[in-house]
Amino acid sequence: MSNLAILPILLPLLTGIMLVFINKQKTLVKVITGIMVFVNLAVVSWIGSVVFQEGPLVLEAGDWPAPFGIVIVADQLAMVLVITTNLIAVASAFYAFRSLDEQRERYYFYALFQLLIAGVSGAFLTGDLFNLFVFFEVLLMASYGLIVLGGTKEQLRESLKYILINLFSSILFVTTVAFLYSVVGTVNMAQLAERVADVEQQGILTTIAILLFLVFATKGALFPLYFWLPRSYSAPPTVISALFGALLTKVGVYSILRVFSLIFIYKLEFTHQFFIYMAGFTILFGVIGALSTNNVKLIVAYNIIPAVGFMMAGIGVFSATALAGTIYYLVHDMIIKAALFFLVGTMAAISGTYDLRKMGGLIKHHPLLGWMFFIAALALAGLPPFSGFIGKFLLLKGAVEEDHYGIVAVGLIGSLLILLSIIKIFLNGFWGEARLAPEQEKASENGRLFPVALLLIFTIALGLGAEFFYPGIQGIADSLVDPSIYIDAVIKE
Amino acid sequence: MLHLAVLAPFLAAVLIPFFYKALRKIHTGWFVLPVPLLLFLFLSTYFKDVWRGVHNVYTLDWIPSLGINFSLYIDGLSLFFALLITGIGTLVVLYSIYYLHITEKLGHFYVYLLLFMGAMLGVVLSDNLFILYTFWELTSISSFLLIGYWYYREGSKYGALKSMLITVFGGLSMLGGFLLLYTVTGTPSIREIIERSDLVLNDTAFPWILILILLGAFTKSAQFPFHTWLPDAMEAPTPVSAFLHSATMVKAGLYLVARLSLLFAGNDLFFILVTGFGLLTLCWGSYMAVRQTDLKAILAYSTISQLGMIMAMLGFGTGVAILAAVFHILNHATFKGSLFMVAGIVDHETGTRDIRRLGGLFTFMPITATLAFFGTFSMAGFPLPIFNGFLSKEMFFESSRHFEHASPLVETVAPVLPVLAVLGSIFTFVYSVMLFFRTFAGKQRDTLEKKPHEAPFGMLVSPLILVSLIVIIALLPNFFNERLLAPAVAAINGEHFESHIKFWHGWGNPALYMSLIVLAVGTFLYLIRTKWESFYQILPGKLSAAKSYDAIVNGIFKGSTSLTRAYMTGSIRSYMAYILVFFIILISVTMTVTDGFAMSLEDLAPLAVPEFSIAVIMAAAAIGTVLMKNRIAAILVLGIVGYGLSLLFVFFRAPDLALTQLIVETVTVALFLLCFYHLPDLKKEYQSARKKVVNLVISVSVGVIVTLVAISSHSTKLFEPISDYFIENSYELGGGDNIVNVILVDFRGLDTMLEILVLGLAAIGIYSMIKLKGKKGENE
Amino acid sequence: MELLMAILAGLLFSTGVYMLLQKQILRIIIGTALLSHGAHLLIITMGKLNRGGPPILSEGVTKYVDPLPQALILTSIVISFGVTSFLLVLAYRAYQKNGTDNMEKLRGNNHE
Repeated sequence: MSNLAILPILLPLLTGIMLVFINKQKTLVKVITGIMVFVNLAVVSWIGSVVFQEGPLVLEAGDWPAPFGIVIVADQLAMVLVITTNLIAVASAFYAFRSLDEQRERYYFYALFQLLIAGVSGAFLTGDLFNLFVFFEVLLMASYGLIVLGGTKEQLRESLKYILINLFSSILFVTTVAFLYSVVGTVNMAQLAERVADVEQQGILTTIAILLFLVFATKGALFPLYFWLPRSYSAPPTVISALFGALLTKVGVYSILRVFSLIFIYKLEFTHQFFIYMAGFTILFGVIGALSTNNVKLIVAYNIIPAVGFMMAGIGVFSATALAGTIYYLVHDMIIKAALFFLVGTMAAISGTYDLRKMGGLIKHHPLLGWMFFIAALALAGLPPFSGFIGKFLLLKGAVEEDHYGIVAVGLIGSLLILLSIIKIFLNGFWGEARLAPEQEKASENGRLFPVALLLIFTIALGLGAEFFYPGIQGIADSLVDPSIYIDAVIKE
Repeated sequence: MLHLAVLAPFLAAVLIPFFYKALRKIHTGWFVLPVPLLLFLFLSTYFKDVWRGVHNVYTLDWIPSLGINFSLYIDGLSLFFALLITGIGTLVVLYSIYYLHITEKLGHFYVYLLLFMGAMLGVVLSDNLFILYTFWELTSISSFLLIGYWYYREGSKYGALKSMLITVFGGLSMLGGFLLLYTVTGTPSIREIIERSDLVLNDTAFPWILILILLGAFTKSAQFPFHTWLPDAMEAPTPVSAFLHSATMVKAGLYLVARLSLLFAGNDLFFILVTGFGLLTLCWGSYMAVRQTDLKAILAYSTISQLGMIMAMLGFGTGVAILAAVFHILNHATFKGSLFMVAGIVDHETGTRDIRRLGGLFTFMPITATLAFFGTFSMAGFPLPIFNGFLSKEMFFESSRHFEHASPLVETVAPVLPVLAVLGSIFTFVYSVMLFFRTFAGKQRDTLEKKPHEAPFGMLVSPLILVSLIVIIALLPNFFNERLLAPAVAAINGEHFESHIKFWHGWGNPALYMSLIVLAVGTFLYLIRTKWESFYQILPGKLSAAKSYDAIVNGIFKGSTSLTRAYMTGSIRSYMAYILVFFIILISVTMTVTDGFAMSLEDLAPLAVPEFSIAVIMAAAAIGTVLMKNRIAAILVLGIVGYGLSLLFVFFRAPDLALTQLIVETVTVALFLLCFYHLPDLKKEYQSARKKVVNLVISVSVGVIVTLVAISSHSTKLFEPISDYFIENSYELGGGDNIVNVILVDFRGLDTMLEILVLGLAAIGIYSMIKLKGKKGENE
Repeated sequence: MELLMAILAGLLFSTGVYMLLQKQILRIIIGTALLSHGAHLLIITMGKLNRGGPPILSEGVTKYVDPLPQALILTSIVISFGVTSFLLVLAYRAYQKNGTDNMEKLRGNNHE
């Protein structure tokens, strides 16, 4: 049974490798991608249901017992994120079919895409800190390949910065793992948790914890480490931006969530209090960035940052309610960011520009696109009854209960500014005088809206159908505040 | 059933587009009309329960685990509002059928309108704080869509955004207040919260709860200084203005204050804020209304002022004040609704709403003029028994003078209140009279695009009904009082309030004199208005709320842009520098605060000469890379560092590492040389001395910190490493002598597999980078 | 010895960071190489240095140095080799396409 845990990594991995070899058969590549994203989604959903019913699946790779070998731990948290990842994968694959040029398709887009999914899933699933580093490298390497794919001036320029900063944080990551190994003598996360608990995170351990936080915060784009994000995410084709925006930063947030709910939880008054400040600044600076530009894709890219801030706030507050909020928000944000990137990509495809000042009146000929965007915008701002509201409600409620009023205020103001930044696109892009030539007006959306619709359905379901999802999420949060559940699942005495 | 009533407009909203598409010939409004009408009739059936004092609660689970349940509660207050919404709704839909031409995008219009109607019903019927919030935001959103109905107009866009920003701002702060309330009382049910009011009143967060919730109410009900969105909301089609922006949505704030009166009443802060902002809004709104020249703008400011007056009465909190407030909500809906419809008719039939161009319309449209007469004079509070506005206005004066159980604070401010009440009412009188006379009396001032004529009958029906109500209510106030108002008052006050509304209270009634002052001074001011109109140049001048709003929004955009541009320079050097500085500060602070530094000189390997020499050479080479001016030299010096490292590995008993490092280093150096054969030679870096110093400080600090953390980590070995297992089991279980190899291929085989994958990915990336030379056209 | 190595690693980090803050792509990439050398040196230092024989099982040896850091370094070396190669080619392509190897000229901030 526990062998199932590796499937979410193995399936896309093998698919990706296979796609490299049959790369010449363009149609076949698409067909296989199309089938495999659904197969993956089905498989991970099934594994998810098993995990939710029977508890975490722990696979000891090569049958080497934890903590000596590498463990793959498919617990509820990991599975929720893996399922969401695969949902994004389905939408992205279909968006890619409709939007990507032949050149890029021929140069291994679909292979890189599958391997990226494998890397992301692996990062969620691994129970070994060094192995996490290796999965980070897999997903980063795949992302490097994707971000330069096509080699436009802008792509080359921005990917240099993207890679350099990620390279630096990767080096810091290995170094930190080494420090940790020196002090605690292990790289298995469950055992790390056990041992750090034994010595109550004394001495240098908090410093090491903060080093790890810095590494993850750089990947997760927290203030003041997000500088690389906006432009590098807006440089490549939309589908790649969407994948990055939906998945990559979330891996960073997930890692913080995991490490700072499992291992380093004995100096909360220092570490987690600090996270709340980080969260506040991240929300504010992120949304200020989103308000600063008229490039629609950049607006969406900037909006990744405040969302990360919201999730961080929940980790900082560190109560079961707030953590449930973080997880809910994590899932919500993955979905809505992908949807928004697809939407602005489609807007730009119709109007031939990313510049909002050159758009206008799109709703006249593209009402469906317009209303989808409107719903996505409301969901992004966290207005009820969409998914964002439930996450925000939990986060704010958790913060109020723990008397963190400052972050509540920042969260509320942030929400308003997020709304302003995104409704600006609706107001000037869809409303207003039509600015397009008639043939542009009539351009069809090429079925690009199907993936968006899929994602929006989930956004609405996560909001209206919260009763279906929320108890499970709360269960995850409850188990996060009690690390012994994870430890016992991995290390069997 | 009640749930169905709230959801019915939403269901209808889903169906309307189909009707619109399928039956183009018939005005879509006819399909919409039955919805509010049937709802009105259905809701009326709740009267008998309400009269008997039975308050129905219906609950439908939504997210029970979060305490967010769709629970509805119907008492006198909710019923009063629900009937107002559906009643005025019916009339507005009827009116809109004649107002909006069949060629307009009617599908959209009615969808928004129905969305709003459902949301508004939800607001007034919800018992759950968060359901109320949900519907509250939905009214803001539907209002946004309705104001932006003519989306291609700049004014509509501006007004829509403004109303949305201000009301959503209020909504969010209200959400904050609700969360506090929920946390303090442990229940999201409004009824239960009111039962636990002592918990709330004694909580230290009480002022915040009050202020946050009032912010929600004030923004929605256009209280000063948030009123500024309402005049701009007049960009909406007139039926919308009549419905949302005078009769219903703007009263949601009043509803909220009324609903929570039992919780807050008697609190001084509540009194000060609600009364204070109410009276301020009353005076400012009526003062500003006089200055307007657009019919709808006059009505908008008038609405603001009337809302302020009702808000003030809710703040007074006495029985008679509450009754007056509820009564005036009803009256305002009748006269302001009819006036908006009249303004719409004038606009429709003459093509302008500018009172400077209008005049003498009485001859062309006598029915409309008559309707306007009743509307304006009721609004002015003209002392005749046919104007319901007078009755509630007089009760307002009356209530401004008496405060039972007044605290010292209330006693102190009490004398000012009647003065402000009269002052505001004087201006109300002036603009009401002005509105009527300048539009309908006198001579026509300007040639108009259209030749004015009476409106079609259908358009007149709705205002006619409302005007009839003005008179009927005025003549039979107690009929409405007993059935409609008293239950609402009881719901707000928590107890039955015995009252009898009368036109004539005898000569000894001070309120009468207040009314007469208003009449006299108002008439006088109207007659000499040209003499004092220049006063508007001084006030509001630059202090207007509209300008502040513009300044704030522009400030947000401009500020964001300049702030973001200042640090998002696009330069990798600055990004790295920010990140590194943050790294330095954060790690040094953490180390200091958590007392992380440790250094133990025991159990160290002895220092040996060969390693020491290699280390010195590597250090020299590393510094050399910085100083080299020639690319080949720099790369070769870098090679020395790498080879030095592999030598160190040899000394540190790591033969495999040494070998790998050797090979990798060689290949890397070759690659470097290959690639940079094509790149220009190193140039002298022209960096300012300051930058160089900054770079130096940053890099030295990073190095020092890394060293310190390394020493500390090495000195605090708290546990035995797990590697003994590998040493013990390498041969038996792994089948190999070389432990490192066994770890790589077996114990941690997954790492190695993925590592190969990374190489593969790099290869694919490099291949496509070289092959795919980016054609010009982006596919997007 | 460990202290010396920690200091050497610190120096490698310092020089690496200093190079990262330069303008020319070549210098920056050299910086990243220095950083990874520093990191690898630290990993091996974090195990105990020179306490026992090389981790190859042989008769008569009872103590071996910690093999795990060595395994980790091996993985890390290979990965950084992959990334560095990629980066080199990218730098080359970026230079070709943009016509400069000066990162300060690759800001791309037209503030659209």
